[in-house]
Amino acid sequence: MSHGPSASGGSVAQPIPGHHHDEPYVPVFAPGSAPRAKLDDILTRYPTKQAGLLPALWIVQDERGWVSEHAMKEVGDVLGLTAAYVKGVVTFYTMYHQHPVGKYFIQVCTTSCCNCMGAEDVVKAFLEKTGCGELGLTSADGKYTVIEVECLGACGFATPIMVNDDFIDSVSVEKVPEILKKYA
Amino acid sequence: MSDQKLVNLTIEGRPVSVPEGTTILEAAKTAGVLIPHYCYHPGLKIAGVCRMCLVEVEKWPKLAPSCATTVADGQVVNVYSQKALDARKGVLELLLINHPLDCPICDQAGECELQDYTFQEGRADSRYREPKRFNPAEDFGGDVLYVTNRCILCTRCVRYMGDVAGDRALCVEERGDRAHIGIAPDHDLSHPWAANVIDLCPVGALVSKDFLNKARAWELDRTASVCPNCSQGCNVTLEMRDTTLVRMKPRSNSEVNHFYLCDEGRLNYEWVNRADRLETPMVAGKPASWENALAAAGAALKGATAHVVASASLSNEALWLLKQTAGTGKFRVAKGAEAPLPGVPDLALRADRAPNATGAELLGFSRADQPLAGAGAVVVIAGDDCAGLDTGALASAKAVIVLGSVVPAGAPAGAILLPIANFAEEEGTFTNLRGRVQRYLQARPAPGLARASWMALAGLAAAAGKGGVYDSAEAVFGAMAKAEAAFSGLSYDSLGLKGQMAAGARVNA
Repeated sequence: MSHGPSASGGSVAQPIPGHHHDEPYVPVFAPGSAPRAKLDDILTRYPTKQAGLLPALWIVQDERGWVSEHAMKEVGDVLGLTAAYVKGVVTFYTMYHQHPVGKYFIQVCTTSCCNCMGAEDVVKAFLEKTGCGELGLTSADGKYTVIEVECLGACGFATPIMVNDDFIDSVSVEKVPEILKKYA
Repeated sequence: MSDQKLVNLTIEGRPVSVPEGTTILEAAKTAGVLIPHYCYHPGLKIAGVCRMCLVEVEKWPKLAPSCATTVADGQVVNVYSQKALDARKGVLELLLINHPLDCPICDQAGECELQDYTFQEGRADSRYREPKRFNPAEDFGGDVLYVTNRCILCTRCVRYMGDVAGDRALCVEERGDRAHIGIAPDHDLSHPWAANVIDLCPVGALVSKDFLNKARAWELDRTASVCPNCSQGCNVTLEMRDTTLVRMKPRSNSEVNHFYLCDEGRLNYEWVNRADRLETPMVAGKPASWENALAAAGAALKGATAHVVASASLSNEALWLLKQTAGTGKFRVAKGAEAPLPGVPDLALRADRAPNATGAELLGFSRADQPLAGAGAVVVIAGDDCAGLDTGALASAKAVIVLGSVVPAGAPAGAILLPIANFAEEEGTFTNLRGRVQRYLQARPAPGLARASWMALAGLAAAAGKGGVYDSAEAVFGAMAKAEAAFSGLSYDSLGLKGQMAAGARVNA
């Protein structure tokens, strides 16, 4: 069951590879795999396996683009936690995706300063130009998902956005097409 | 325990003396003050998340959550100071922001702690004018329905499932005003002890599907009883709407079931309400008066050696009178899978699916898969356990006397049938598998002419010229305690409502 805006599901017209629900689940942390090695390295830093939960979930999200219920179960098994505990953590934090998102995940700051500087229009421009249409939905080509976020910490350079891990400041409506060209 | 240090403090002006390490909330109970609380439950780990139990401790800068604060010498605790009342009023106001206030259609209404504390300490009206958050209700599986909007996120259910039931199926999902109780992927609440979350839930968020919309809490008459569905002997409360049993709830007993009752025990009660009962004594297929039926049965028993089939669902009193009347005999116990509750020592749904197998054995009856086998000319069958038995053994019997609450399947046409009450319709005691003798009380009248099993058997004993005169189950128990070493020293007074160990069991324990 999904509740509230952060869990809004994506309407994926064109399926994104690896996101089919009917496909058998491929473990992220298969023995000998690179993600497994990364996790093992991370676990050496903490006194308990439980402490590695957030990094483990980040690895899953890096690998798969989102954290599925299957993945929650796998992470729980790997770290000796129950699926319920992992689900509680995943849903607590808004930055773990519980549904598939576009290849480019665009976060637009709409907090006070940015709002004064026209962030709402920037959001509208992104929604139109990417074809997403609505916040949280994924464009038909599977490339983009746009959401609004709280302060990105660049109030003097409104409006800042993030595209995946890239930070771009001083975005105006005019700059939107140019940015999208870069992430095509 | 005797060398435990006592701490002296003052709660609401009353001097209190409790063992070191007690929480203020528990100490206040001993002073007769119930500090409002939601997340605290004596059977669960302390969470301290609801902030409803805030109290003022003099000389402390901040209010203290009394469920998570231990007592200290000389503390002066003010539960109802203005500062504490204001804080709790604030907590209630926040809890009610997104609460639907659908008490008129909520099963919990009348036994809801959110209602009670709001009535006691909350605001009379709300200052919140915005639209409320809405989430759909969710079927958690088992007997549990989760009505998300009513939830106050006390996490009692999460802690119970994880720490007591040992199946961490529940979690708190999301955060802030979106937070709700979530269920793990591929899980449901079909754990054999999961329905306890319904009782633990202080509000109407987790409700029983079985009880849904059946009755209002204030319409119910409650009777102390013992669960008849296995030999554990969990203490229960029978809740009747008029004369219909609508639910069984656990009654706390720290020696047996603590606060819990398994799903099978709690949900297997419909048979109590069945309408096709044996309501009048029958002799050779014709209705008879008790006088005539008992006279016929007594005549058959006089001078004869009877083959006795008992039931592990009969009370100790009835079994003892049966032994007086016709001697001991055999009984059959239905079996099922055992299901322990990991968080509580020595508590399980037991394999013996009858309440009084131990009592029957203490009185000299013995188990048999085919208790009818070897039946002779005179047969006495007491109880309803003979369904499905091979009644061919009765073919040669001259006289068959059956005491049952329903018409027994396969009873010969010439049988004498004596209608008896079921456990909800009479008083008596059961002996659980550890030898604990526990009383159950009458919750509703027996149908028609049916009599309490002790009364029917006392009549039969008298008719056979074997018994004394008894005017109550208590009198029968008193006579039994004198005659049977296993029950010596016990009386209804000493049993109370939580029971006592039988003498034999006291030695073995």
